[in-house]
Amino acid sequence: MTAVILDGILLGLQFGLLGVGLTVVYGMGGVLNLAYGQMAVVAAVVVSLSMSSGLPAGPAVMLGILAAAGIGLALDLTILKPVYRRRGEARVLLSLLLTIGVAFIIDGLLVWRFPIEALSLSIGGEPILVLGVPMRTGSLLASAITILAGGALILFFRSTTIGKAVRSVIQDEVGARLCGVNPSAVRTLILTLSGALAGLVAATQSMTSPVPISAGFDITILALLVTVVGGLGSVRGAFLAGLLLGVVNAMSSFYIGAYITTIILLVAAALTILIRPSGLFGEHA
Amino acid sequence: MLEVSNLSAGYDSKAVVLGVSVDVREGEVVAIIGSNGAGKTTFLRAVCGLLPVSEGEVRYEGRPITNLAVHKIARAGISFVPAERHLFPEMTVAENLALGAFPLRPDPGQQSLVFELFPRLAERRRQAAGTMSGGEQQMLAVGRALMSRPRLLILDEPTTGLAPRLAAQAYESLAALRAQGMTILVAEQQVPIVLSLADRGYVLENGAIQIEGLATELRNNPTVRRAYLGVV
Repeated sequence: MTAVILDGILLGLQFGLLGVGLTVVYGMGGVLNLAYGQMAVVAAVVVSLSMSSGLPAGPAVMLGILAAAGIGLALDLTILKPVYRRRGEARVLLSLLLTIGVAFIIDGLLVWRFPIEALSLSIGGEPILVLGVPMRTGSLLASAITILAGGALILFFRSTTIGKAVRSVIQDEVGARLCGVNPSAVRTLILTLSGALAGLVAATQSMTSPVPISAGFDITILALLVTVVGGLGSVRGAFLAGLLLGVVNAMSSFYIGAYITTIILLVAAALTILIRPSGLFGEHA
Repeated sequence: MLEVSNLSAGYDSKAVVLGVSVDVREGEVVAIIGSNGAGKTTFLRAVCGLLPVSEGEVRYEGRPITNLAVHKIARAGISFVPAERHLFPEMTVAENLALGAFPLRPDPGQQSLVFELFPRLAERRRQAAGTMSGGEQQMLAVGRALMSRPRLLILDEPTTGLAPRLAAQAYESLAALRAQGMTILVAEQQVPIVLSLADRGYVLENGAIQIEGLATELRNNPTVRRAYLGVV
């Protein structure tokens, strides 16, 4: 039991980080990026290819994260421009349509060029005991990286001038502009950061189980679940929802079976939404 | 300091304000008075870049700022306090003030000036802006606008939603700012209170300036007295 919950928490931290990358982009003004998972997969492919051409894991992962961040930047500077010109529902819908198009194109290109590529960062070494439970080194390393990244992210949003500017745009865009914040520059930054987070999660995920090129939409759906349960636009909510869904995921795949886990996750998400329609922290989303 | 000439603006090609010219000189308090729907808000929003200017020109310290992006106008030294305030509801008072100084780090000296003007904000500095009363939110909106050390402060209906006692307090703090040499342009429906502060004023009705003059002249103008001061 302890082992399962611990596993769930470690997984949940990664879910949380994944959710943050999607939820902040939505919070910035109604852009739902359905190509999010594909950004992660591109990172995984870049890491895998760089490693097979002889690059050590560390620099290869950095390269992968940069590649995914680059996609985020490119999306912001190209196809999201017309999206930002619309308001409200039209903006959400247009962003859905355009980014799902991008997702299909990236998926198609990947299947065409690298049909059997998958990223699997195997970390060797003896299992380490945590609370009396033997944990795999890879899983612990992934968690350590995730906790560090999550902590850095929270510090960024809480304490830096730029981080506060990002939150100001999420909470009141007109107010932010009146304070001298340029929302389009903030959006560019956040799309890039979102790509980097997708890439980072692809790398940490592959330390425990392989990330195949077909994983794009699964990752997007998972991120969407975390986002919806946590409350659209809420960073705190995303981390909490990630932990919740991580534990649910670990328990259901241990006690029931992995094949049904996705369904259970969806049910858990649906129940949360039924009880709290705006998500755990979605009051002002 | 601010010269607006022949400005027209509105929503979706329908002009709400037509050919309005307003001047604000350094150190002055200028009032724009008029009834609800007269075009005061549209005029101020166009000056600050929140609405496109379809015709005319806005110059600030000699340079044209017509249709410049809102954040550029803000960084040029004009702080706008809208009637809806547009605070950051989930951030604390201190964080709201800090953002007022963006892109710079908040200056402690300027923050203590704001706290001197509004001691209540100092008491509430850790409180989330969204949980404060209307009067406190108005103080915070003005305080946030002051954090960038603006040279021109523009306010739209600072008394919106405030009880008479709080409205009077809001104008007391504007009087204190004026005493420190701040240049202020304020749109207001509550004409008596604003004319007791202002040096000059413009009467805006149906999107055009009807009367302009010194505040003392406006107070004695029969039309103004009849329409806004409740004198028969």
